[in-house]
Amino acid sequence: MAPALCANCKTSRALIIRPKNHQKLCKECFIAVFEAEIHHTIITTSLFSPGDKIAIGASGGKDSTVLASVLKTLNERHNYGLELVLLSIDEGIKGYRDDSLETVKRNAVQYDMPLKIVGYDELYGWTMDQVVEVIGKKGNCTYCGVFRRQALDRGAKMLGIKHVVTGHNADDVAETILMNLLRGDLPRLARSTSIVTGDATSDVRRSKPLKYAYEKEIVLYAHHKKLDYFTTECLYSPEAFRGSARSLIKNLERVRPSAILDVVRSGEDMAKLVPEEVTGISQCKSQKVSLSSADGEDEGAGGCGSANGRSSGGEMAAMEKKLQQDETASSREIDMSNPIASGQNHDRLIKKTGPIKPVRIESSKKLVGQTLGTCKTCGYMSSQEICKACTLLEGLNKNRPKMEIEIDVEEEESSTLRRRMEGVALAAG
Amino acid sequence: MPGEILAQNSSDAPLCQRCGTEAATHNVRSEDVCSNCFSQYVQTKTIKRMETYRIRGSSAKTPRKLLFPLSFGPSSASLLHILDQHLRGQYDRMKRTSYELYVVHINVYVDPVDRKDADEMLEKYKTRYPRHNYAIFNLEEALGLDGIDWKALGLENSDSMAPSAERLQKLLGSMSSATSRSDIVSTLLARLLVDVAKRNSCEGTLFGDSTTRLAEKTLTETAKGRGFSLPWQISDGTSPHGITFYYPLRDILKKEIMSFSTLTSPPLTDLIVQPHPTSQISASSKLTTIDDLMAQYFESVEENFPSIVANVVRTTSKLQSLPNETTEACGLCGLPVAVGTDGIHGWGGDQNSESRPGKDDTYHGILCYGCSRSMNS
Ligand SMILES: [Zn+2]
Ligand SMILES: [Zn+2]
Ligand SMILES: [Zn+2]
Ligand SMILES: [Zn+2]
Repeated sequence: MAPALCANCKTSRALIIRPKNHQKLCKECFIAVFEAEIHHTIITTSLFSPGDKIAIGASGGKDSTVLASVLKTLNERHNYGLELVLLSIDEGIKGYRDDSLETVKRNAVQYDMPLKIVGYDELYGWTMDQVVEVIGKKGNCTYCGVFRRQALDRGAKMLGIKHVVTGHNADDVAETILMNLLRGDLPRLARSTSIVTGDATSDVRRSKPLKYAYEKEIVLYAHHKKLDYFTTECLYSPEAFRGSARSLIKNLERVRPSAILDVVRSGEDMAKLVPEEVTGISQCKSQKVSLSSADGEDEGAGGCGSANGRSSGGEMAAMEKKLQQDETASSREIDMSNPIASGQNHDRLIKKTGPIKPVRIESSKKLVGQTLGTCKTCGYMSSQEICKACTLLEGLNKNRPKMEIEIDVEEEESSTLRRRMEGVALAAG
Repeated sequence: MPGEILAQNSSDAPLCQRCGTEAATHNVRSEDVCSNCFSQYVQTKTIKRMETYRIRGSSAKTPRKLLFPLSFGPSSASLLHILDQHLRGQYDRMKRTSYELYVVHINVYVDPVDRKDADEMLEKYKTRYPRHNYAIFNLEEALGLDGIDWKALGLENSDSMAPSAERLQKLLGSMSSATSRSDIVSTLLARLLVDVAKRNSCEGTLFGDSTTRLAEKTLTETAKGRGFSLPWQISDGTSPHGITFYYPLRDILKKEIMSFSTLTSPPLTDLIVQPHPTSQISASSKLTTIDDLMAQYFESVEENFPSIVANVVRTTSKLQSLPNETTEACGLCGLPVAVGTDGIHGWGGDQNSESRPGKDDTYHGILCYGCSRSMNS
């Protein structure tokens, strides 16, 4: 049997079956097509303007390495006029980032790009190792995740850069869309699909130029371009909804290769169908549950590497429990006021039933903040008045003096007093 | 004697939490109930839905005519059983009913053996529920519908003299994936149902989709690039075709329907063609569709997290179609497509022209993204 010829140039031997559409291509055509598609994405979404200074969030992993390589290539080929900088975050976990930071340092030389490594200590005043000392191994994942989400933006701000690009690929975006559907989180669904987050008014815009690139093609591209990247087995187990969505995406891709792209397209279309009152303030209780429990995880999870104490399924079980309590509560209300227990009449019924229980007032506070604003303390994009990072930092900073000045008699008194107050609050709650 | 009661209570199975007299054999969300109370629950939930559909204040003497698509699956069989009892109850009390059903089965199989089976099955229904009107249609009748743009589908009517069943087979045979095939079948089915409803002056259609099925559909349609169509596929309400769609089982889980179908007397067993067990579905099989994967997935989610399943549906029902958009009708599914968003090309995620497989370049006319995807892959 004669070897198959490349479907594109029809001269070279086809060596690659494109994961996206199973087209048979030669190596050169695959690379050309992969780059051309990212160029197409950049052009159709008017992602950059000449003269822009762009920070590439670089972890040394395959996605960000491919992103850096492709952007450098396209910037030169199509005269984008961009100034590209590599930006890496050091969480301050001894030994954890050593290898990946070495990779990024080599990349900086290979691509002839300036590299800036910013540490959690510079950004937050705390390294993760110090956080672990205070918090303990358990629960520090929350801190790492919340800090990481803001680190690139804060780092870019320090460098005076207004646009950060990250290596999120089509698989990540599709996964996030399915996850938000499963969690019933329309506001996040609406937000997660756009290629750019933040607008001209925000300090730092974020975008994902690889939004339509398949993970498998990113790996192939890195392989055939012989890119230098750091393969790490991710120690982090995704939370249950994300994990569930991830395995769905993998199976969908096997059944129909276009499915990843099709999910992304659906997500974009559905984002337009989310009514304003849902993206803003919702009246519906069920919405509240999902919003508060889903707080904070917009993006694909990065490896945390330190503790991974999350039991898989825990998040789903917790949400199931909340929803069930909600159902029981609302069915009681409805039994008294109206015979129809339906999703669509939900809102009206709740208003009708009048007096609101304390539980709900509590959660409605969270809800009011769902319109995206900025954190009063740090100015970072946040759905709350004070962003999660600042809230966590406040707690940490309260703990530090308390620990360090245990010997001080006067301070001790006040901290005893505070403990007593906490005791009171506990008893009352 | 008090002692006796005590002994009885401690030795027997737990009692139903609703009636407190029968032994608990089933579970309704977090309550243990007897089979009687369980059936009661399923029926009440469904009938409540029907009440919301009634036009209030209407004293019309003629009952509303509603199309009832019957697939012979557990859900549509159970729904027909429940509505039949509902109507019988109405008639016994008031000597009239508020609605009547036009029960329709669509043959999706072309094989004469399958078609004979369907005829026999429908006879069983007529015998058991004689109050309603019944009819059978064949899927290939969709090929003759107005509004389907055969040119856009690349299927010119050159062989329009061929029997339509043959043409249908040819069309489906030309699809390269099982998902595309089942997608086109369900699209044609939906269009044929709307047409049958209109021709028979039905003002609405009653679908037997359970909560679980609607959740499946949400993710299936999303995965097929049909996210834009969800407001018309999940919510009760007027469809763009002018026929109102109702989902009276939307508050019942699939597993609850399965139990219910065994509890009627006599059970519905011989009226039901059981679906294939989802445990046999494998993502590596060429025959597996996205629909299969989602059915399998939600069967497992439903097992432990039924409220999450319900929440998916409740959330999706909040999506609203865009009222101010200028639209064109898709040449296959007929749904409105915002101008400039048709087809699988010309958007940010498009593959540039060099990397497109050649097949679609002859295409003209309007197809939505989802239909276009199925016709091209
Ligand atoms: Zn080639
Ligand atoms: Zn802040
Ligand atoms: Zn009972
Ligand atoms: Zn269509």
